[in-house]
This record gives sequence, structure tokens and C-alpha cells, in this order.
Amino acid sequence: MGVRCIELPGIGTKYELETEKGDRVAIIFMGSRTFQLYILEKGKAAPSAAELTAAEARRLGSLLSGAIIEAEKEAVEIAFSTLSDLRIRVHTYVIRKNLAGRSIAELQVRTKTGATVVAVSRKGKNIINPLPSFTFEDGDIVVAIGDTDQLEEFEHQILGH
Amino acid sequence: MEEIALALFVCLVLALVSKRFSLPPIPFYILGGIAIGKSGLNLVPADAYSQYLSYLGLIFLLFYVGLEMRPKSLRERGRTILLSGVIDLNVNLVVGCAAALLLGFPPLESFILGSAFYISSSAMAIASLVENRRLILPEAETIVWMMVFEDVLLILLISLFSTQGVNPVSFILLTVAVLAATAGIMRLFRQPIKALLARTDDLPTLFTFTVVISSTYLAKLLKIPDSLVAIILGSSLAATSGSALERLSQPFREVFLVLFFVFFGITIDFSGGFSLPVTAILCVLALASKMASGVLVGWGLHGSVPAGIEIGANTLGRGEFSIALVAIFGSATISATVALLVVVTSLAGSFAARYSEALKLRLSREKPSLLAVPDGQAG
Repeated sequence: MGVRCIELPGIGTKYELETEKGDRVAIIFMGSRTFQLYILEKGKAAPSAAELTAAEARRLGSLLSGAIIEAEKEAVEIAFSTLSDLRIRVHTYVIRKNLAGRSIAELQVRTKTGATVVAVSRKGKNIINPLPSFTFEDGDIVVAIGDTDQLEEFEHQILGH
Repeated sequence: MEEIALALFVCLVLALVSKRFSLPPIPFYILGGIAIGKSGLNLVPADAYSQYLSYLGLIFLLFYVGLEMRPKSLRERGRTILLSGVIDLNVNLVVGCAAALLLGFPPLESFILGSAFYISSSAMAIASLVENRRLILPEAETIVWMMVFEDVLLILLISLFSTQGVNPVSFILLTVAVLAATAGIMRLFRQPIKALLARTDDLPTLFTFTVVISSTYLAKLLKIPDSLVAIILGSSLAATSGSALERLSQPFREVFLVLFFVFFGITIDFSGGFSLPVTAILCVLALASKMASGVLVGWGLHGSVPAGIEIGANTLGRGEFSIALVAIFGSATISATVALLVVVTSLAGSFAARYSEALKLRLSREKPSLLAVPDGQAG
């Protein structure tokens, strides 16, 4: 599954991949921050193509990397090209009434699940790296970071899903 | 002087029309220029101001050619570039020169005409590949690198034509010395120039404009052609912060080039030695020989005639470089001839590239399912 990388002077850079099933996918990064995505089905003559903006490409990227995107519940997986084993998931959750008035320390988020709450959005205001004494309110949107298991534990034990 | 505003306004309208129909803008600017200029309504005379502004367009174009030169990546893909480039050069330059000679042009004029006949428009080839969504094809890579080869040839041709009336040996020695000196100076001042270009105020723009304009002064000082100095400056500066310079010089290039094209059209004079039948023959030959060289490259490099038709279709259009060559070196007669050659081939090329799939079906006897089988996967 090698990715071919070709410089196209005047256009940008082309990344090309042939899938196991023999389809070909190409992505062209164009200088003007737009992307072209091509798919050439095996045995077909004409490729299909889509032009994406930078934001659309990012969205597509997180979809392809296995993240679930729902309204108010959004997950992104981060992988680093130089650290092949390191995969970090970032997930947002909505705090319900059952956790209102309880603090991060009281809930023992890190000890119980391994996941960390790295940010909270409350009525449009953002709190980055909340202290252990931070107390949740109904409707807070929290951003938790961890691996897949840790986030599952977080959903299970803390949120009670 | 106020006529420049009228010319620009005409260009703005024409640019809108060309965008609306996804056609290359260059033929529109030339036709617009012909319509309002000497051979048309004579509304806009060319004066010293417009001459200087369109001259800046030429200098910015050549500066950009220099900036885009990447000797390293050229060397890495040497064989492919050389093969496709040499086929393209040999077929088209020979056909172009021979046709011009046979049609009665004097030898030097024939050579200039043949060069304009040979060199395709990089801007059009790239725009049509992007717009028609052809970038996944392996041929697209070949086309893009063929354009890079043509840029190198453009530099050689400009140097060659510049040696007219001067001692070629001292000319070449002087040019090489200037190239080495400029590259050396840029290397020496690489860090300060990089720092200057990374600033967020108005200095990077001012620096870019000043550098490009100063190539005119340098040319006078060193007694080598300004067109070459612009290219040399561009390629030397590419080593500092090439992408920043590309971005900074782009607005200047866009505006001044439009003026260059429209005033090229305005100064066109059909009353001299211009002959419509001769030009028509050259146009037909220009389309046929580019398609033939494209098919040869496709067959030689991709083992496929349809790939060659794709290459031919996307390189049919002649444009900025053909006009630059005749604007610098050509007489009034060949300027008029090349103006029409550019209009015809660029419009034909635009349609050919858009409908290349249908063209492949029609021109090749291969089964449609084999059409897009890429290089090396056919067997």
C-alpha cells in the first residue's frame, strides 16, 4: 500500500495510492489551499473527481480515519506521520444533569478511566485545561483526550452511557 | 494615458466572458486588443506609458519562469523529461521552421516563427488539466514536465536570438558570469533576504517589485538583454524563499501581463506582409504537429496512443511564451501571424482538452476500456 508522491510544478503535489482491490485514489494538494480528490475504479476508463476546500478536506480526513461525527459529539483521531504507533483520539461530550455540581477531582476522571478532560465549553466560553476543582454544569461541552479504550471507559463510568 | 483605463476595462469584461465559458483568457485579450487598436477601431493608441506597463508584464512573466526553474527536480526526472521534451522540440520546431521557410519567410524570421510555433502555453496546459480534472492520469505528469522542459528551451531560445549582431562567445561568457555572480550574491544574502520576505508588513511586496524592476537597470549596466536578466534574477532568488516570491509577484504579474497581451493586440498591424492564407496554413500545421508530437510522446513513454492524444490535446494551445518571443524579437508581420496562431490554437486546444475523451474514441481504434490503463499496468 505504498503512496506515490509526485511534484507537479505549477500545480502542487500529487499523492497516489493503489488499493488492494485495484482501485486508484489520487489527492492533489494545490497551492491555492484547494484539493482535488480522484477515484479511478478498477477497469473503468474515466476517473471521478471532486474539488475540496481546506476545511472540507480536513472533515473528510477525520471521517476516513474512523472518527464518529454526530451533532455536538465529535471525535477526531490524530496520527503523526513520524510516530506510526501514536494515535490519539479527541472526543467531545455533553454533560447531562447527572453530573451537574460534581468536580473533576470528585469524579476521579483520570484515575478511573485514564482519559483527561482538556477543555470545557460553557455557554460559548472556553476553559482550557480545567483544574481538578472544576465543577461541571448541565450543558457543558467537554473535550476529552485519550486512546479508544480510555474514552470508552470515560463514556461508561463517568457519563454513565 | 487615460486610454489604458479603457483597455483594462475591456480586459475585465473579456476576462469575465472567458471565465464564464471556461476558456483561456489570452486569446480574448489579444482579440480585444486588435478590436480597439491599430487594426480595429483605433480607440487606444500605444504610447510610451502603455509600452512601459506592458513591458513590465513581460519582465514579470520571465522573472516567474526563472523562479519556477528547479534544476534539482529537473535532474531527478531527467530521462522522462528529456525524452518527452526532445520529441516535442524536434517535431514542432522542425515543422514550424520548415513551414515558415517554405511559405516564404526569411531565415531568421522563420526561426523565430518556428520557435513561437513550437512553444506551448504552460498556463493553458496547467489550467486545462486542473479544470478538466485530468490530474490522476499519468499523462498529466508528463505534460507538466514537458512544460518545464519548454521553459528551459525558452531561455535557450531567448539567449540564442539575443546573440544576433554580437559576438556569441563573449555574450555567452558574460551571461554565464552574470548568472554565477547573481547566484553567488543571492546565496550570500540568503538569510537576510529570507528574513525580509518573512516580514508581515509592506516590505516584502516592495522588495519583490524593486528586484524585478531593477533587472531592467542591471541589463543596461551589464549590456545583456533584460529578458535574460529577469530570468537569471528569478532563478537565483528561488533559492532564498521561492514560494513567498511567487505569491508576492503574482498580483503584479497578473495585472501587467493582461496589459502586455492587450497592447500586443493593439499594436498588431495587418497591413504589412501579413497573409491570411499563410497564417491559416500555419495554424492547421501547428495543431497537427502538436497532436503528432503528443501521440509520439504518449506512445514512447506510456505505450499508449490515447495517452498521446491526451498529451497532444492539452498542449495544443500556444500562448504567453509565443507572444513573448515575437514581442521581443519578431517583426510586425510575424507578430500579426503569431497573434492569430495563438488565438486559433488556444481556443482549439481548450476544446480539444475538454473533449479529449471523445477525441480519443474517435482518433484511436483501441477499445474504450483500455483508454485509461496507466503506464506499466497494461501488461
